[in-house]
Amino acid sequence: MNIYIYTIRRLLYVIPVLLGVCFIIFFLFNVVSPDPARMMLDKHATVKQIAEMRHELGLDRPFFMQYLDVVKSAFTFNFGRSWSTRQEISEMIMDGAIPSLSLSFPAFFLATLISICISLFVSFFRGKVIDRLAVIFCVGMMSVSSLAYILFGQWFLAYHMGLFEISGYEFGFPFFIPYVILPIIIWIILSIGPDVRFYRTVILDEIYQDYVRTARAKGLSEIVILFKHVLKNAMIPIITYVVIRIPFLILGALLLESFFSIPGLGGITLDAVKSSDFPVLKAMTVLSSIAYITFSVITDVLYTVVDPRVRLK
Amino acid sequence: MGEKILEVTDLKVEFNTDQGRINAVKGVSFDVYKGKTLGIVGESGSGKSVSALSIMRLIPDPPGRIVGGKALFKGQDLLQIPMNKMRNIRGNKIAMIFQEPMTSLNPVFTCGSQIEEVLAIHQMQLTKQQRKNKAVELLDLVGIPAPEKRIKEYPHQLSGGMRQRVMIAMSLACEPDILIADEPTTALDVTIQAQILELMHSLQKELGMGLIMITHDLGVVAEVCDDVSVMYCGKIVEAADVRTLFTRPKHPYTKGLINSIPSYDATDEGEKERLQTIRGMVPSLFDLPTGCSFQDRCDFASDKCRGFDGNPILKKIADGHEVSCWHPLSN
Repeated sequence: MNIYIYTIRRLLYVIPVLLGVCFIIFFLFNVVSPDPARMMLDKHATVKQIAEMRHELGLDRPFFMQYLDVVKSAFTFNFGRSWSTRQEISEMIMDGAIPSLSLSFPAFFLATLISICISLFVSFFRGKVIDRLAVIFCVGMMSVSSLAYILFGQWFLAYHMGLFEISGYEFGFPFFIPYVILPIIIWIILSIGPDVRFYRTVILDEIYQDYVRTARAKGLSEIVILFKHVLKNAMIPIITYVVIRIPFLILGALLLESFFSIPGLGGITLDAVKSSDFPVLKAMTVLSSIAYITFSVITDVLYTVVDPRVRLK
Repeated sequence: MGEKILEVTDLKVEFNTDQGRINAVKGVSFDVYKGKTLGIVGESGSGKSVSALSIMRLIPDPPGRIVGGKALFKGQDLLQIPMNKMRNIRGNKIAMIFQEPMTSLNPVFTCGSQIEEVLAIHQMQLTKQQRKNKAVELLDLVGIPAPEKRIKEYPHQLSGGMRQRVMIAMSLACEPDILIADEPTTALDVTIQAQILELMHSLQKELGMGLIMITHDLGVVAEVCDDVSVMYCGKIVEAADVRTLFTRPKHPYTKGLINSIPSYDATDEGEKERLQTIRGMVPSLFDLPTGCSFQDRCDFASDKCRGFDGNPILKKIADGHEVSCWHPLSN
């Protein structure tokens, strides 16, 4: 079967999954959650006031219609207005996505690239001092709390040395760049430990395979073996590890955004949780589910590109 | 005898393991002649594969280490030359095929590209199209039907026997002087085994290579080898031409191996003969007995074999026949 048909078929499977996801979201927010009308009004509200509020929020309509609203929002990206700010949610998300992505995408991309390079480098020296030191260093870096890096960065590098902006954000290119450099550096430092350990394990798993010995027996150099034969095989677990984390980038980096006062999606979500702003929370849940489903389809399609053994059935 | 193309003398290899240091190969010597097949026979752990891998410098280091000996090939010692020179020899002058055809090919590259890769590094004058044509020719040579189609296929689309043929095609790409085959047929069905052996035998005659056939199967030795070295616990215990070895084995271990080949001879009562075995087990390399390593399994072992100076050395007892035993069999 050809890869395009496979992709289309895989995309068609998304529809029932998405309907199921919408049902769970609807069930959580519209069926089992406490009545939002009561939460929005104070405890002295009359029955009439509550009924009016319920009508206004559309909660008095049949459950099936409410479910359809969730499904509709998943396909049209029209999530209505926020309860607390009265703003159009799709606009809020667009506004929040820019700062979030301007931080998370470069950070994630650089962290992945750097980690894979370091892993290839230490795998080349496997079992030698340099490799052992790298592993110790990784574990050491992982053992320090992320708050320590953030505070050190903000206090020493930004405040004391004056190398970066301490916090804040400015919209527009290239004005945002000075604000995201320090959070990006901290993101990379936080990722390198676990990432290098993961990629190194994956690469070393491959390095001891029989086909590597064959490649050596052919007279290939270690560099070619590592970059061509080993890396292509290691790509299968690496793709899973990398692609499946991309949807979480869209949600933003809660901790970094709040410490660096970046007005991103992380902040929006957090505010919505605090103020029980159900439409915003629903929108974020729907969006992250869609992102997750999309990227798992991408992972599956990439497998077929990288690994010929994956049968296109 | 023909032209000597590889002369291995006193090869010593040790492994550092968690349980301690083991001497996997303890002073092994053998010669490979142009157009001839040398069989290296032994049980698992006898050091036969390690010896072969050492010639190619493919011993994983760490934990393995070549600690002594020489492997003279065209006037250069393969154990001493720098790695970049060694890489020019690997796959080009000396090629190797392995026991596991299922895992020895890279699963994510096509068979064709894996064959072409050898040509790309050793025969740089060839164009891409020439390499491709050569790959098709090679697959045809090793008896793979529809080679133009097969070069586009991935290893998982082929059977074990076919994969081993691809490995052979790959190893022959640069027409090497020596081919080392490390148990090439062990993982294959018996019928396929015979085909592969026949193929290697005929290709060897055709190309005039020296062949080192590593096996634990004396049947294979009888079929394809000209000379045989029998290894036990990291040492060669007997070396002779194949006819002498089978008709007049001098070492009790060789004799035991030959006796343990199943035969179809039935007794008068019509019952099949009981299969003969060598009693006991190969001793652990961590805990070898003082003296001769074979003493505990040998019917002829004397006090001399168990003594501190009981370790026998390989001695010539006839032209082209060497044995390391204090009590060689008289037959």
